[in-house]
Amino acid sequence: MNVVEIGLILLGIMMVLLVAGVWISLTLAMVGWVGMVFFTNQPAATWGKNLFSAMWESSASWELAALPLFIWMGEILFRTKLSEQMFSGLAPWLNRVPGRLMHTTILGCGIFGSVSGSSAATCATIAKVALPELKRRGYDENIALGSLATAGTLGILIPPSITMVVYAVAADASIIRIFLAGFLPGFLLMALFSGYIGWWSLRNPDKVPVEGLDMSFKEKIYASRHLIPCTLLIVFIIWVLVAGYATATECAAYGVLGSLAIAWQSKMLTWKSFSESLMGATRVSCMIMFILAGAAFLKLTMAFTGIPRDLAEWVDSLKLHPYALIAALTFFYIILGTALDGISMIVLTAAVVLPMVQKAGFDLIWFGIFVVLLVEIAEVTPPVGFNLFVLQNMTGKDSNTIAKAAIPFFCMLVLAILLVTIFPQIVTWLPDYLMGVQK
Amino acid sequence: MRKNLHRVLDAFGVVSAAFVFGVFIVMLGAAFMRIAGMKTGGSDDIVSWMTAAAAFFGLAHTFRHGDFVRMGLGIEKLSPGRRRTAEIVALIIGGAFAGYLWYSVSAYVWDSYRFGDVADGLIPIKKWIPQMSIVIGTFLLFISMVDELFAVLRGETPSYVAAVEERHARGDFSEDV
Repeated sequence: MNVVEIGLILLGIMMVLLVAGVWISLTLAMVGWVGMVFFTNQPAATWGKNLFSAMWESSASWELAALPLFIWMGEILFRTKLSEQMFSGLAPWLNRVPGRLMHTTILGCGIFGSVSGSSAATCATIAKVALPELKRRGYDENIALGSLATAGTLGILIPPSITMVVYAVAADASIIRIFLAGFLPGFLLMALFSGYIGWWSLRNPDKVPVEGLDMSFKEKIYASRHLIPCTLLIVFIIWVLVAGYATATECAAYGVLGSLAIAWQSKMLTWKSFSESLMGATRVSCMIMFILAGAAFLKLTMAFTGIPRDLAEWVDSLKLHPYALIAALTFFYIILGTALDGISMIVLTAAVVLPMVQKAGFDLIWFGIFVVLLVEIAEVTPPVGFNLFVLQNMTGKDSNTIAKAAIPFFCMLVLAILLVTIFPQIVTWLPDYLMGVQK
Repeated sequence: MRKNLHRVLDAFGVVSAAFVFGVFIVMLGAAFMRIAGMKTGGSDDIVSWMTAAAAFFGLAHTFRHGDFVRMGLGIEKLSPGRRRTAEIVALIIGGAFAGYLWYSVSAYVWDSYRFGDVADGLIPIKKWIPQMSIVIGTFLLFISMVDELFAVLRGETPSYVAAVEERHARGDFSEDV
């Protein structure tokens, strides 16, 4: 049997298991097992041992320790009053910008995204306060919904990001490098979103209510005083990352410490909120680490079968233009994103797609940001865009209505992908400048 | 009986959380010791083992809580009767593999115990001690899947479905990445 047939059989088994609702972590390991048993010449005595060592080595990892800590950090801040404070703190500054308070959604998601690594949590946290406030003041609800659905995905693009940690582990890339690579695309995306809101507001001035109060600079600072600790935490984390004082894992530990301090200072740190945040973070990490463990075994099997190498060589032999390959992959990930969540998408494809991309001459860090942007698209596209589901649950509106409201912002995401593809420096400049060019 | 089983499974969720907290404490400790100029060599090994312990001890609790992701597209739109059949099939396949997984890791860790393998890092303890987390964790996952299988066969809603529905009804999305 040749490599193509083996690959198709394994792919078929995987699709059947996934559609049957078998949990993704177990599916990955099972497909790995089938491949190992039937399509490699590994002796039977080593199957179990390979399974054990792939799973154990994937989980007993010092680098992976950053994952539960970053998740916990977001969980702690999720349980504080940060979202209420975000709105009242940002509002006074936006009075003169076209679109006014509408920008709180983008800025709020951007700021919360830089302490949280989850798109759904970012979207839910900011929407909880911004939606009723904007509605009460008479802002256009469609724009608010669309911007929240899409800007919520900034949570996974602006570091720290759970998705990026997973990608870095799956791709054997440096977590810090990929975090650094996320900053400029994150700002670009925020600028595009805010730009659209501004442009829309200038064209529809009657739909943007006038805000009465004009505050002095001092009053503004006073109104945003609650945001200062969180801003300091963000600045501190970025500084530690950029200056190279700490590893990603240590940085995550500082982040948890800072979040605990913020929660304590705002009198929101109770035993209940502490234990809930820790248990929540534990469960999310267990889930992700088990997926990574299953994928580690599949990756091992794949290496034995030689499928990724052959596929990479085949793609290479087609002499595709790099843009054509990227276009094909974009299409592939968007299809995948209609059925799978972002983390599963990345882990599922890493073993096969990454060697191919690398062989075609793409930088793995750049590709990581590219994939994160595609995952962001997946979060806002039906039928299983998770942010749509979050907002549907919070507002009672049909998810297709929300998806429609998100279309202009969705286009901004696509534009960001185009820009990042044409000017890869947007991604690579900051990590290269701070950490030196990778060999 | 079943209630006690669930208590044990959830208790191991707390054990897992304790290891996450432990990672946090050890990382902080190592960072401060490094700043103070002390050697922190062994802390990397400890953090690795604790991370593995955090990952494996909590598997069953996480599974029961509905945090294991799956592709919902194929089964969520089914009629209740077919959905039940689909859950049974998924639990049989998943449970069988979880059982095999437990058997494989146990066999390997048993060998490591018999031969007295010692870790190669800076902390020369017997390898099987940290590795017990994967043995216990996969065993609990296996038991939990069998338990859910019997629950679905009796016509109950599986815990992992009920937990997610309850959480989303409250508007809590903190555990969705």
